[in-house]
Amino acid sequence: MTPNRVLPALALLALGLLWGLDLGAIQPNRIVPGTGHGLLSALGWPGAGLVTAVLVSIGALALAPLRHRYAIILVLVSLALALLPLAPELLASRHLPADAPYARSSLGAGFWCLLFLLCLMLVEAMGRLNAGRWLQLALLLFVAGSWLLLLQRDGLESLSLMREYNARPDKFSQALWTHLALAFGAVAISAVMAFALALKMIRTPGWQRPILGAVSFLQTIPSLAVFGLLIAPLSALSNAFPFLQSLGIRGIGWAPALLALIAYSLLPMVRNTFVALTEVPESLADAGRGMGMNERQLFLRLKLPLALPVMIEGVRITAIQAVGLTAVAALIGAGGFGAFIFQGLGQAAMDLVLLGALPTVALALAADALLTMLANSLRPAPLAS
Amino acid sequence: MRLWFSPLLLLTLLIGLSTAMPVLEPLFQWLQPDKQSVVYERESFLFLLQNHLTLVLVSAAVGTMLAVAGGIFATRPAGRDFLPLVNQVASIGQTFPPVAVLALAVPALGFGEAPIIVALILYGLLPILRNTLAGLEGISPAVTEAARGMGMSPLQVLVRAELPLAGRVILAGIRTSVTINIATAAIGSTIGARTLGDPVIAGLVNGNTAYVLQGAILIGLLALTTDSLFEALERAWERRFTPQFAN
Repeated sequence: MTPNRVLPALALLALGLLWGLDLGAIQPNRIVPGTGHGLLSALGWPGAGLVTAVLVSIGALALAPLRHRYAIILVLVSLALALLPLAPELLASRHLPADAPYARSSLGAGFWCLLFLLCLMLVEAMGRLNAGRWLQLALLLFVAGSWLLLLQRDGLESLSLMREYNARPDKFSQALWTHLALAFGAVAISAVMAFALALKMIRTPGWQRPILGAVSFLQTIPSLAVFGLLIAPLSALSNAFPFLQSLGIRGIGWAPALLALIAYSLLPMVRNTFVALTEVPESLADAGRGMGMNERQLFLRLKLPLALPVMIEGVRITAIQAVGLTAVAALIGAGGFGAFIFQGLGQAAMDLVLLGALPTVALALAADALLTMLANSLRPAPLAS
Repeated sequence: MRLWFSPLLLLTLLIGLSTAMPVLEPLFQWLQPDKQSVVYERESFLFLLQNHLTLVLVSAAVGTMLAVAGGIFATRPAGRDFLPLVNQVASIGQTFPPVAVLALAVPALGFGEAPIIVALILYGLLPILRNTLAGLEGISPAVTEAARGMGMSPLQVLVRAELPLAGRVILAGIRTSVTINIATAAIGSTIGARTLGDPVIAGLVNGNTAYVLQGAILIGLLALTTDSLFEALERAWERRFTPQFAN
């Protein structure tokens, strides 16, 4: 049983950053930068001692020759992650002035570093345990559930991020739906188009180079340029055809955003669909023919199911990319979480920026996790030889 | 050399257009008859291009050094323990949308060029790290074995066998990284960097389509130029190094 050097290194780094950086800050109002509080000042001796003890024991356990050390570490790290929102709550209860209604608490670099390093420890411990996807999902749900419960309590109401959210819950859910509709609408449309293009490339190999060339050309152009280039032609179109205008198709807004998102989604989608469908081994197709399948049955019952995991992988790459690009599309008035980001940048209101950026990251991570699991569950079980 | 023809052509077009944009004023006037000013004049395009390129080059250089060093460390006997984690970080990190990384850098570092450089380095090193690991791990053990059998020291094996063989894959990672960073640096205009995104953002704010078009065309050209340059570089690398080890 070799000692693990990764976890002690991470724990040591976490301790150094935690004691050296501010855990959080108290701001008198929305814009003025606040006064920072380090670990000791934020949590007091008992709290700071507990956090330090947890990190030290994670590092020590990793070096100890114990049989179930990774399981114990996994439990410790998940508990620490699940209870992390208690730290800003304690900070607020200790330092927030009672008579200042605009005062708010915010999260500091120390908090984010701790969150990041705990996530790395979780990844490392799960990797060493060879954790299956059900364990991963259960831990994710445990941590997310605990966060949701803790965020509903009164103690975190003063957290600036919560203040920003509570000022605009309707706009937030609207942004969520717009973001989802644009990103996944583009993914769905491009999936259908990519399927047709891939079939064309398989039937007529002469089309392979032009189609792949065109879609990778589109992928090379930066998003801001594509959004910008679509404004002039689309506004000309909508001026020329009033019925397009009545559909809401203008130079800015959802129409150019959706078009650009579809254009970007085509490369990963076409490439993966094409590779997936062409890489089904010829011996399997022969076996299918031997069983009396015609070409149509061969495609629907053999090639498509075998190709599906690789196609889903294409959908995963596309979905992550589309979630990020939808945030950029807010610059041309498409809405979504990007609107909060750019509005916050314009007003120098950093918590509004966070209110846009954090859900964008969360959506991308969620799309990644869900589609990875879907692809894994569709992969045929390896045959026992 | 035919290899360098299209990058050179695109580069000439890019620099030419950046200098000669005011000459095209009548064209933009025709496109946008209702505006007084139709050519972006707050900053010269050449200056914006130069600044944009500097941001991308600095972050690519630092990112490449960090990522290649990290990749080499994680594949040596001393750093093997870290390999699974580094691998995971490189793949999970790429799930983060670049805009979000850029936006998150602002609360941490303030407005200006510092958060952009940091965001570009952090985000840009992930594809390079991933490809460095893939390239070094993909080398057949027989090759390193043979190099060691020829009496090479571990450092010589790394520099004379492993890196040349992994180079093409690493170069492809740098290409991905630079492509993403050109796009992200353009969006960096919204947090106070002077890049080719400036005319686009200014045009969007003032409803001036001509500005948007000028910025967008130059950003697109910059991306195409860089991409074709990497295409040529990858070919050149292939010619230079692959025959030595071909069987």
